[in-house]
Amino acid sequence: MAMLSEVTGTMSDEPTRAAMMVEAVVGNAWATDAAGRFVYITPGMLAPLGIVREDLNGSDDPAFGWKPLVHPNDYEAAAASWRQSLRDERAYDATHRLRAADDTFRWGRCSGRPVRDSENRIVGWYGAVLDWEAIRERDRELSQLVDMVPSHVWRLTPDGEPTFFNRRMADYLGLESTDTALGGLAELIESVHPDEVCMFRETLGRSLASGEPFSLRYRLRRADGAYRWMSSRAEPLRDHADCILQWYGVCHDIDDQVLTEEALRRSKHQLEQMIDALPINILSFDPARKLTYASKRYLSTAGMPGEHIQDFEGLAREVSHPDDFPTMFNRASAGFANSEPFVNRFRRRCMDGVYRWIEARAQALRNANGEIVQWYIVSIDIEEEMQAQEALRERERFVWQLVETLPAMVDCASPDGEPVYRSQQLREFLGYELEGLLDTNGSRLMQTLDAGVHPDDLAAVKKDYAQCLRTGEPYARRHRLRRHDCEYRWVETRAAPMRSADGAIVQWNVICLDIDAEVRAQEDLHLAQERLARASQAASLAELSASIAHEVNQPLAAVVWNSHACQRWLAASPPNLDRVHVTVERIIRDANAAAEVVSRIRALFKQTVAPHHRAAIADLISDVGRLLGDRTSRMRVEIETDVAADLPAVPFDFVQIQQVLVNLMRNAIEAMEGHAPKPRLGVRAVCDGEVLRVEVSDNGPGVLYPEKIFDAFFTTKQSGMGMGLAICRSIIESHGGRLWAERNRAGGATFAFTLPTHAPEPA
Amino acid sequence: MTPEAAIVLIVDDDPRVREALSELLEAHGIRVATYASAGEYARAAKPDAPACLLLDVELPDINGLDLQTQLVGAHHPPIVFITGHGDIPSSVRAIKHGAIDFLTKPFGDEVLLAAIHAAFSQDTRLRADRADLERLMARYETLTPRERAVLPLVVSGLLNKQAAAELELSEVTLQVHRRNVLRKMGAASLADLVRIAERLKIPVTHARHGAREA
Repeated sequence: MAMLSEVTGTMSDEPTRAAMMVEAVVGNAWATDAAGRFVYITPGMLAPLGIVREDLNGSDDPAFGWKPLVHPNDYEAAAASWRQSLRDERAYDATHRLRAADDTFRWGRCSGRPVRDSENRIVGWYGAVLDWEAIRERDRELSQLVDMVPSHVWRLTPDGEPTFFNRRMADYLGLESTDTALGGLAELIESVHPDEVCMFRETLGRSLASGEPFSLRYRLRRADGAYRWMSSRAEPLRDHADCILQWYGVCHDIDDQVLTEEALRRSKHQLEQMIDALPINILSFDPARKLTYASKRYLSTAGMPGEHIQDFEGLAREVSHPDDFPTMFNRASAGFANSEPFVNRFRRRCMDGVYRWIEARAQALRNANGEIVQWYIVSIDIEEEMQAQEALRERERFVWQLVETLPAMVDCASPDGEPVYRSQQLREFLGYELEGLLDTNGSRLMQTLDAGVHPDDLAAVKKDYAQCLRTGEPYARRHRLRRHDCEYRWVETRAAPMRSADGAIVQWNVICLDIDAEVRAQEDLHLAQERLARASQAASLAELSASIAHEVNQPLAAVVWNSHACQRWLAASPPNLDRVHVTVERIIRDANAAAEVVSRIRALFKQTVAPHHRAAIADLISDVGRLLGDRTSRMRVEIETDVAADLPAVPFDFVQIQQVLVNLMRNAIEAMEGHAPKPRLGVRAVCDGEVLRVEVSDNGPGVLYPEKIFDAFFTTKQSGMGMGLAICRSIIESHGGRLWAERNRAGGATFAFTLPTHAPEPA
Repeated sequence: MTPEAAIVLIVDDDPRVREALSELLEAHGIRVATYASAGEYARAAKPDAPACLLLDVELPDINGLDLQTQLVGAHHPPIVFITGHGDIPSSVRAIKHGAIDFLTKPFGDEVLLAAIHAAFSQDTRLRADRADLERLMARYETLTPRERAVLPLVVSGLLNKQAAAELELSEVTLQVHRRNVLRKMGAASLADLVRIAERLKIPVTHARHGAREA
């Protein structure tokens, strides 16, 4: 306030005040009257030269007093210009060299403007001299600055027409000059990349219209036609009335940065694409186990974790199957705690609420110091695999159960016959586990056979096994096997090799059936059949006798009763002779009938002798061998058959001789039972002159009475009628042959019979 | 009902046997009827007289023993079996089922006649019993429903008073019924009535001492 009053106080003296004001302004000023005579010149301008204003007015040219100040070479042109201005009453502007204090010349610019009065008459001139060189120096510095800024600098009119490009920008655009040939806005826009040109135009237009600062990234065409990314900003310069005077803008070449960013973005995008394309889900957790990332695929399968999900545990509890959660979470917790990778297989709920099996693998990412930065968990869907596995397991379980529960004993053996698996049935039958067999005791197969197979069957079983293992032929045999309770039971064992593609045996599969009941039933059946055969023989005998008795009895009974009646009639008084006559006639008739029956029976018996046919004795022997096959094999009787090849066919009753041979062989077998450790039955047939001789020999106890045994009712057996050999002898004798018995020198007995090769003469 | 003379019914497939037996029995003055098979016998009308069934075991249509089994329960004459070859099991079976005898051919006339007479006397007795029972049944039929109710109480030994109470009758009325029952059933005394009731198999429904307790 004090200063202000001081200033206003000095303003009472007009000229002094104006001079002070002018002199306060930087620069040199001057004023002339209408004729061009100096009325004022800044004292600081003249003082260094040692001259005063009067010196100027006193120069040669009264109208132009600059002579002492202006370079002689420039003087004429400047004076001419001044005179012209005075004459035309127009503004004066001239550039010329001016004398400086050190007597050097410096370029300066001198400008003057006429001052008019209210009637428009020129009353004087006011002017200023600017040290042009200083200005040019600053200008040059400024230009250098503008040109040297590592950026594009430009200026636009409020309408957007470019008024200035710095050198860098002009060079970039390939323009000749910074002042001229800038081209219009349209030309600038044309340099913008077609992809961004619309946006550029719109953004610029909007800024020009609203005065809002302009900011945009776009590609700008370089002189060589290459587009480079630019980041451009512009702000308006406003006057006091807030009107926009100019737009000043800068434009950075950010091409490298953009390309880097783009490459980075592309790389990130590719990574994300890859992550999303891979059939895996990815989650990441920070060291505090907070969820930091979930891949798109995860979100689309398992869904966005709810707001309440805080960490791994929350998520695991949310999505994993309740049955699987404890195991899965324990394993994960251990992994987290020990900073070790972990793998979990569990059922995870999908967005549709369906649980699917997944396998999740977790691994930690560490920084340079080895500290864990992030946990990554990758999970893949293994539902199909698990289902396939489950189906496989189910199938395996099914097959296993099938094998274990088959009503048969199953056994698997290695190619050399060593047992490797036994089904439950077999284990239970044997009463011990496969593991119970010690390798130190030799082959497990042999241990099993030695321990289980009946001693009488053992040699044959071993022989067959060895044969099959050597040749690869299937095995089948019936033998007795000891059960855990020490009972020997008949079993049928069958084994077949399982071969690989190249035909090598990889395993023997063995099935063993307990057929004890069947074998025993078969034996019982045989016994029953034999008993039945004997019984039916006896029955037919009884029937025959009954029928004969009936046939004879009826007429005999009638004879008796008629006789009684006759007696009655005779004893009556008087005797009834008519009735006597009738009854006597009946007696005669019936007695004759009885006699006839007897002779008819005799005739019947005579005719039952069957005609003899010629047949081969060899056929008969093999027939009988077959008939007794079961019996000989059951008692393990070895049969040695020796039948001469050239035996003639002889006439005989096939059935009767068959009966004889069956009798002799059965006797021999029964004789050996319990007597011979190796029962051997020999059947021999030879031709001996006119007769065929058949011998049946055994190694039993032999015969004590070779002749007596053929008597009827003689027997050495506990049960038996003693009729067999008697009947046999009668059959052979009826064929014209002989039947006898001998003791063997080596023990046992031989029964022999002969049949004539020619039919005997009818007796 | 005029009693007819006893008769022997012969069933045998052999005509000579039928002929000879008929001759023998007629010689002894016994009536005879013959049948060649069991079927023929079954179809024939039976004479109303004491009889003896002389049955061959080996018949063409059915075994004689089986026929005997079939006849059990029906009123039939006592059976004497004849057979060509008797065996012990068959004879035991025949006798067990009530046969008079089991004769093996050929047999003499004394044996036959003894068996036939035994059959005749047994049949006579059976027929008399049967007739007696039929008469009692006929009498029983004449009783009124009330008298039929009174009968078991009386034969059970209940006092008149007790029986009357049981049937909710006066003692006097009961006594009237009781008298009528005795008369109609031809019983001379209460003891006689008890015997008759036994034959008719009328159950004793009340024990005298148990009545009060019940």
